[in-house]
Amino acid sequence: MAEEKVDVLIIGSGHSGGMAAKVLTEKGISCLMLNAGPVVDFKKDRELKPVYELPYRGFNMPGRLPHVFQANEFNANIWVDEKEVPYTYTPQQSYNWVRVRLFGGRSLFWARQSFRLSDYEFKAKDHDGFGENWPINLADLAPYYSRVEAIFRVRGQADGLPQYPDGNFVVDDSPWSGSMQRFIAAGKKMNVPVCKARNAMGVDGLASSINLLLPDAFATGKLTAVPNVVVRQLTVDKNTGLADGALFVDRHSRREMSVKARVVILAAGCLESTRLLLNSGLENSKGVGLANSSGVLGHYLIDQVYGPGIVCSVPEARDGKATPGLMGGSALVPRFRNITTKSKNFIRGYALNVYSSTRPMDPRNFADYGESLQKKMDSYEGSGFSISMMGEVLAHYDHHVRIDKNVVDAWDIPVLHVDTKYTDNEFKMASDAVDASIAMAEEAGFEVLSKNYDPNPPGYSIHEQGTCRMGDNPKTSVLNKWNQSHDIKNLYVVDASSFVSGGWQNPTMTILALSMRASEHLAEQMQLRNI
Amino acid sequence: MRRRDFVKAIVAVPVAARTMFGQQAAAPQSAATAALPPAAETAPTATHDKGFFDYKAHPIAASVPDGFATTQANFFNKQQMATLRKLCDVLLTPLNGYPGATQAGAPEFIDFLIGASPADRQHMYRAGLDRLNANAEKQFHVPFAQVDAVQADKLIRPWLRIWMPDHPPKERFASFINLAHQDIRTATMNSQAWSIAATATGERAPGIGLYWSPIDPDIQMYV
Repeated sequence: MAEEKVDVLIIGSGHSGGMAAKVLTEKGISCLMLNAGPVVDFKKDRELKPVYELPYRGFNMPGRLPHVFQANEFNANIWVDEKEVPYTYTPQQSYNWVRVRLFGGRSLFWARQSFRLSDYEFKAKDHDGFGENWPINLADLAPYYSRVEAIFRVRGQADGLPQYPDGNFVVDDSPWSGSMQRFIAAGKKMNVPVCKARNAMGVDGLASSINLLLPDAFATGKLTAVPNVVVRQLTVDKNTGLADGALFVDRHSRREMSVKARVVILAAGCLESTRLLLNSGLENSKGVGLANSSGVLGHYLIDQVYGPGIVCSVPEARDGKATPGLMGGSALVPRFRNITTKSKNFIRGYALNVYSSTRPMDPRNFADYGESLQKKMDSYEGSGFSISMMGEVLAHYDHHVRIDKNVVDAWDIPVLHVDTKYTDNEFKMASDAVDASIAMAEEAGFEVLSKNYDPNPPGYSIHEQGTCRMGDNPKTSVLNKWNQSHDIKNLYVVDASSFVSGGWQNPTMTILALSMRASEHLAEQMQLRNI
Repeated sequence: MRRRDFVKAIVAVPVAARTMFGQQAAAPQSAATAALPPAAETAPTATHDKGFFDYKAHPIAASVPDGFATTQANFFNKQQMATLRKLCDVLLTPLNGYPGATQAGAPEFIDFLIGASPADRQHMYRAGLDRLNANAEKQFHVPFAQVDAVQADKLIRPWLRIWMPDHPPKERFASFINLAHQDIRTATMNSQAWSIAATATGERAPGIGLYWSPIDPDIQMYV
């Protein structure tokens, strides 16, 4: 069959690819979407099972998914197999790359925390002199955030804090439980705001690309979607220097194929999109990869610090006295460091997730065993109160990914080597987060049972960002402020690789808003025949 | 059984049996016919295939072997296994109608699990069990398997720590004691014996989770 040129080729089907497909097809532009993994059949592919029926009694298969701390034996099959698509890292600098290749990607399973970045992130350099500002600010992105929040039905409350920008919310007017009220009062004394969390409610229990974005795209009749094809590299027209398609391989048969396109949108997730660009270009004086005249492709890898936190008990809720009025609910402490005052030890800041639980306590909160342990667990049941950190990671040039030519995946595609680590700023921030949490909990009258100061390995948050960053200067950035390649004007990258800094916020709302904005810009440019 | 039902039953059996055997053991095809594509659904088919497309499976009450069989322990040596059994006995005893670790087959299951685990996990367990036993010999002049409850407490309690998920204690022996404790609890509470006890005490749907099957796995993985 003769090769037909498609209007727009979208690689990836998660939140960013789904949004691009929705925006473009609704404007009458035909799109072809390629996805590396299969389509989930929610009826066929999952079932309720008792844990004792699983081959390893819930322990998961030993040695499988060593870097996916989120994996258990119930969900092990949804993650990318690390043997099938390996990656390498520098010894002693482990990295947790947590991936989903199912159609819809990680949008099927995200935690749904829905935040806007503030100008403390967009213009971070203005505040502390470190790194670079984004080429856009909150006002540029606010209209897109509002539209995204409406689609995803974000539940929240307006708080009027500049570091925690309000949005287009389904209003959360649920009452605070007694334990939360005590925590809020403790926060007030210490000048720390305690707010309602903000979450995407979605529809029918799902807030994903496959139920909130792609159905609209398919309804236009303009979207063709192909699962189970692994893109090997992008192709470039030698005469024009423009992207003109992709080479891909059938996941099952290994049949090699190619497709031609007028425009290419990368939406495969931060590190997969970067890997594709790195695998698509030749070496130049600044480095390797397509769209890399700046030499910064693959650099400035960031994520967020997760892991540090504390577990407490609310004494009044023990021994069967926990009531729904006293216990339950969640809160969010938005960044409060380096806003109006300056921390001595670190720049930027962190947020705290706060949960009041009516469930049994984790036995690890007690150094005990046997009957004595059980008595403690019975006594403390329903009195749990936990606080955990989400901290900003600074973007350093040295923290980067590159191609490891010695290792290939199941389709003979060279894999990524990840070279990153947390630095002094992140460790000091983590320490401060735990100490501040303890101080607030004790002020509220809670008993602190356990604490952890050590961050989980980089990557654990599943919020990798920044390896294809945007900027006004083509010498220091890969993309312009429209997520468009400085070097190749018909190439867009709409996932979190475009981030300049990441803040503490779950990046999903920002990814969606940026993809919406970039796709509308692209549609405009196509209509004007600039692309 | 009433006479009328009995008659219906004996009439029905040979028909059902023929149908079932027809499905399971299709007649061998010649090389020539085997290469042909399958006939269209509307084409006349052999009578034994009739209804197969719409066949609704009869439920089969499948079971797991743990209810009637014992896991063969063959990873740890005899002394390590004896130490592990004692550790299980001490750390999780039967309580409030629930089985202890031993009754739930946790020692044998952990032998299997660690035998299938990466080398560093295997080493941690073997070294930990050996040290626990050596400590018992040194302090009480008996193997750990023979210590009494007070002696066991003196050997174990100093090493118990409070810790958070993904961040076990960093000291090697404390790490072993605490991770083994967690493994013993998990192997016990995720056992069929625990589930049966939970059901008997009125707990609803104990240990039930949403299991994801392999989703369209890569066929080349099986070549």
